[in-house]
Amino acid sequence: MTKYLYKGLPIMTVLVALVLWQWMVKWTGVPNWILPAPSEIGVAFWENRGIIWSNSWPTIRITLLGLGLAVMTALVVALSMNLSHWVKRALYPLLITSQTVPIIALAPLFLIWFGYGVLPKVLVVALVCFFPIAVNLLTGFQETDEDMRKLMDAMGAGKWKRFLKLELPSSLPYFFTGLKIAATYSVMGAVIGEWLGGSEGLGLQLVRASQSFATDLFFAIILVIVTLSLAMVGLVVAFSYLLMPWNR
Amino acid sequence: MKKWILVVSSLVFLLGACSESSSKSTEEGEEQTSVKVMLDWFPNTNHTGLYVAKEKGYFEEEGLDVEILQPGENANVNSMVASGEIDFGVGYQEGVTQARDQGIPLVSIGAILQHNTSMFASLEETDIHSVKDFEGKRYGGWGSPVEEAMLQAVMKQAGADYSSVENINVGATDFFKAIGRDADFMWIYYGWDGVEAERRGKELNLQRVRDLHPALDYYTPLLTTSESLMKDKPDVAEAFMHAVTKGYEDAIQNPEEAASMLIEANPELNEELVYESQEWLSPRYQEDASQWGIQEVDRWEDYGNWMKEQGLIQSSFDAESAFTNEFLPEGD
Repeated sequence: MTKYLYKGLPIMTVLVALVLWQWMVKWTGVPNWILPAPSEIGVAFWENRGIIWSNSWPTIRITLLGLGLAVMTALVVALSMNLSHWVKRALYPLLITSQTVPIIALAPLFLIWFGYGVLPKVLVVALVCFFPIAVNLLTGFQETDEDMRKLMDAMGAGKWKRFLKLELPSSLPYFFTGLKIAATYSVMGAVIGEWLGGSEGLGLQLVRASQSFATDLFFAIILVIVTLSLAMVGLVVAFSYLLMPWNR
Repeated sequence: MKKWILVVSSLVFLLGACSESSSKSTEEGEEQTSVKVMLDWFPNTNHTGLYVAKEKGYFEEEGLDVEILQPGENANVNSMVASGEIDFGVGYQEGVTQARDQGIPLVSIGAILQHNTSMFASLEETDIHSVKDFEGKRYGGWGSPVEEAMLQAVMKQAGADYSSVENINVGATDFFKAIGRDADFMWIYYGWDGVEAERRGKELNLQRVRDLHPALDYYTPLLTTSESLMKDKPDVAEAFMHAVTKGYEDAIQNPEEAASMLIEANPELNEELVYESQEWLSPRYQEDASQWGIQEVDRWEDYGNWMKEQGLIQSSFDAESAFTNEFLPEGD
């Protein structure tokens, strides 16, 4: 019994919170455009499921493209930094700087440079996601087992072979740790990009909902964004399960 | 230990510095009521009277300590005003009409301009000569449903198909950056972007909104407040509108001085544009009205009926409760 209780605890807390929220809203009589009750959010979600659905696709596409771009860039950067101390010294400040620039301030500039299409939004996602992947990968490459490396060198494996057989597989857990963090932020990055301008996507729908006082729809869209973010993380976990059979 | 005492005491000091009380004392020892006003956009000549009233101490004379705020990207000023987070806001009649239709307690308390100076503008080479030509073009807007509804309605009237228009939210990007590149036509106030186009020698094609239908000479921009503020603090609303009236009257009398005050408060604005825009706009604040800020019920009714006809609002619109002249000074 206790085991089931322990397992179901997260769901229980969410349910209790929802019931409390519903009751508080009804009891205080807060108008729906300031804070809607969960039931109203559910209704808004159901009534607008068509538009939410059609706006989800552009956001998902931007998220995947951005994450893909981030993975590729992170791979290239981490690899070249691993191969040469010179490159590492040269690129490290840029790596750190890329994370200190406020995205919210930079995104409008992207729109001015690249217009209102998909590209600036993909760049926002890539910029948000690139760092955790690159840093974790780099750590992974450098944490390879010293004895293993000496063994492979002694047996005459070249630099390239050693990388394929040793450094790459042993850095995978690090890579997936970084990717998991990146995936959590990825959908949010896409939404920030859309929020600042465009003609489709969940971010834009958020703007419209807030401008038309549809706070219930606003929350419904946020719920969809949360769900998508969790799905992205789930996807990464599934991938890591597939690619690292030795970890099962 | 010594270090801890230092840290704690400096924290206390900082907190004390940050948590200013909401009322400041003036030299006469009077209590000042602090008031927040939120603009609709970045500061421009539509707002000059507010800055003049602040600069010349008209607010202070009325016992108000006024803070003028610029909205963030995609912020909903109407919601903030209606909920009482912000005391007064700058809005538009189409927004107030739609908000009230949805039961949002927002009220207009003064027209900044007597007539609608907004227009749909496009570059000459885009070849838009009438609303009919909007078909198949890209509209660059700020993502509000009111905007979409207005566009839909004026196009329907002209027998054009709105569904062929691509509506892009260009956010806070300025007209000159977006026009012709990201969007083919945009909705502007002539007194700002139109004047700037003249300055730059850019030829624009314009469709004046008020020419599209008699009901479309509505009040834009205007000042808003919440029903609860009107009920609980009518004296604050009155004090505020008296000071603002003085500010706009000064701007009407002396455009140049008013423009310099706007620039002083917002040094990042383009100085030459502000002066020229002010020159164009000052006579239009009051235009043919008996006093600055006054609103007529017909204009609210006509526009409300038109919105109803177009299916932009659901319920029948009560024009009487949507605006009030009660906080304006008695007309001489």
